[in-house]
Amino acid sequence: MKIFVCVKHVPDTAATIKVAGDTGFEDADIKFIANPYDEFGIEEAVSIKESQGGEVVIVTVGGESAPDTIRGALAMGADRAIHVEIDSQFLDAELTAQALKAAIEADGAPELIFTGKGSVDTESFQTPYRLARLFGMPVVNEVSALEVNGGKALATRESGAGEKQVLEMALPCVVGATKGLNEPRYPKFPDIMKAKKKEIKAMGLSDLGVDESAAKVTLVKMEPVPERSQARMLEGSVDDQVTELIRVLKEDEKVLG
Amino acid sequence: MDFDLTKEQEMIRKEVRKFALKEIDPIAGELDEKEAFSEELTQKMGEIGLFGMFVSEEYDGQGMDYISYIIAVEEIARIDGSQAATIAAGNSLGIGPIYYFGTEEQKQKYLPGLCSGEGLWGFGLTEPTAGSDAGGSKTTAVQDGDEWVINGSKIFITNAASDMTMGVTVQAITGTRDNGKPEYSCFLVESGTPGFKAVPMHNKLMWRASNTAELYFDDVRVPKENILGNKGDGFHQMLKTLDGGRLSIGAMGLGGAQGAYDLALKYAREREQFGQPISKFQAVAFKLADSAMEIECARNVLYKACWLKDQKRPFEKEAAMGKLYASEVMSRVADHAVQIHGGYGLMKEYKVERFYRDQKLLEIGEGTSEVQRIVISRYIGC
Ligand SMILES: Cc1cc2nc3c(=O)[nH]c(=O)nc-3n(C[C@H](O)[C@H](O)[C@H](O)COP(=O)(O)OP(=O)(O)OC[C@H]3O[C@@H](n4cnc5c(N)ncnc54)[C@H](O)[C@@H]3O)c2cc1C
Repeated sequence: MKIFVCVKHVPDTAATIKVAGDTGFEDADIKFIANPYDEFGIEEAVSIKESQGGEVVIVTVGGESAPDTIRGALAMGADRAIHVEIDSQFLDAELTAQALKAAIEADGAPELIFTGKGSVDTESFQTPYRLARLFGMPVVNEVSALEVNGGKALATRESGAGEKQVLEMALPCVVGATKGLNEPRYPKFPDIMKAKKKEIKAMGLSDLGVDESAAKVTLVKMEPVPERSQARMLEGSVDDQVTELIRVLKEDEKVLG
Repeated sequence: MDFDLTKEQEMIRKEVRKFALKEIDPIAGELDEKEAFSEELTQKMGEIGLFGMFVSEEYDGQGMDYISYIIAVEEIARIDGSQAATIAAGNSLGIGPIYYFGTEEQKQKYLPGLCSGEGLWGFGLTEPTAGSDAGGSKTTAVQDGDEWVINGSKIFITNAASDMTMGVTVQAITGTRDNGKPEYSCFLVESGTPGFKAVPMHNKLMWRASNTAELYFDDVRVPKENILGNKGDGFHQMLKTLDGGRLSIGAMGLGGAQGAYDLALKYAREREQFGQPISKFQAVAFKLADSAMEIECARNVLYKACWLKDQKRPFEKEAAMGKLYASEVMSRVADHAVQIHGGYGLMKEYKVERFYRDQKLLEIGEGTSEVQRIVISRYIGC
């Protein structure tokens, strides 16, 4: 099976982002990582390849340091990669999808495409849908369990309302991966060495016929969000306070699952 | 001159850091508190390749350079000294002597199981009467036909009494040299050999989740092919092993200092007193500035020593300097880190107290700081 995994090179969530200029941030000193949701996609693709055979190709649209992240994906077991190099820190979601599609198509017919459910940097949650539309493929996002068999994919997703849906779609299709799908492996050290020898094919947007000036949405301003005030006093009975505290930890601060 | 690490070395750092944060950080405090060695965690560390990093692939090692190994120890130590001890001792003291001095048969027999992390191996040098002064050792080995018969005891031997321990390398007196001094040889003794007993040592101040043992040899018979390398090479083997081992103790000092500093910097920026983060007080900021500077210097001397070793150039003096300096830097940095945490720094809930305790061994194990100064002073011609 020919599987593509779209992997975004994003700033580490622990990094302190400093806005620079009107629409950018300082990126020289911050650490970049593979978008964590994409790692579930890489793991799933590699384990499908291990059990059913085939090939896993990483596709990344990103800046010149993106190969550092791509090597990590190759060390996890992907076979080779395509790097669509861009100069800007942000690219319109539609153009990203066009670039991914063109790069995948140029490489061969996909049977399965993974993306993350969204990326932790821009959080606009558009790539799986836009990519699927361009290809005319079915798509399920936020997939936390997957079975691929006999030309079909059976995807489980939890809906916000608290129930699980099991959705069947025909291959080829786009799967947006999320937590729960698997436990991404740590690359073994010899695989890190082997990743060095795997191919990363580099190309630009223009090689793929993507016109950067045709962006439909343009970033015009980026500003730091003022830090929120520190202490929040909870009022009411002990029960009310505890209930509110749990809600704050879960929903506002997102430190509880 | 080039101070950049290779992409692969950077990736090793990134992956080990991720592993340590995810797999070790959440349980390090509890293992320390319970004084529990974790077989499960040790095996997980083995799965990603933390054992046998510098061993060639023909013995199932990872075939990497020494600096990659040192970076891996550093990154584990940044989170937990005990696990770093398991790795550092496992590689430098357990695997190292067999790989560097063993016969082909010995390497084939023992290295694959040790490099996969299924098994551990101890290195028994220290005795109750012989610490800094290896010449005070009393353990003997006498040849009897096709066997060696070992008698004596060892103390403070890392990785030697866990359920995963496959055996130990033990240094023993095998005769007298022409100059009247004892002749030493090393022997491989498998766990379960009759007369050999490994007893875990408890109530340590530091490295509480690392396995430490007392070893007893009571007429222990091993086949004569279990001698490591040649008869009479034991002293030289021990010195060479400690030279490499010092780099890994240095890495524990460096990583531990970095870990304590990271915690202190984060805390200082968050903790407010007198209406501002305490990091804004010069007295606190200068402690952090000194820490950052010393960590940078420690990293440079240690990496240089590793680079010399990877270049197959003499590195012994720099290894002693790196070990001594990095372990003393960690002492100062961990001290600052606790001070910056105030009263909270003394509570187990905050991780810095563990760094503060774990540090002390680094100035004692594999040659005390005093012994390192003796080594350096000899190299500079005193
Ligand atoms: C947790 C732990 C793990 C260990 N793991 C191992 C292991 O795996 N294998 C192993 O073989 N050993 C191991 N050791 C032993 C360790 O290497 C020794 O403790 C160390 O070498 C010091 O020996 P000693 O404890 O006998 O101290 P001593 O040698 O008795 O030293 C006591 C003090 O006297 C000073 N001193 C001694 N001689 C001189 C001198 N000539 N000039 C100036 N000062 C001097 C020392 O610096 C020290 O301050 C371990 C120890 C610990 C605590």
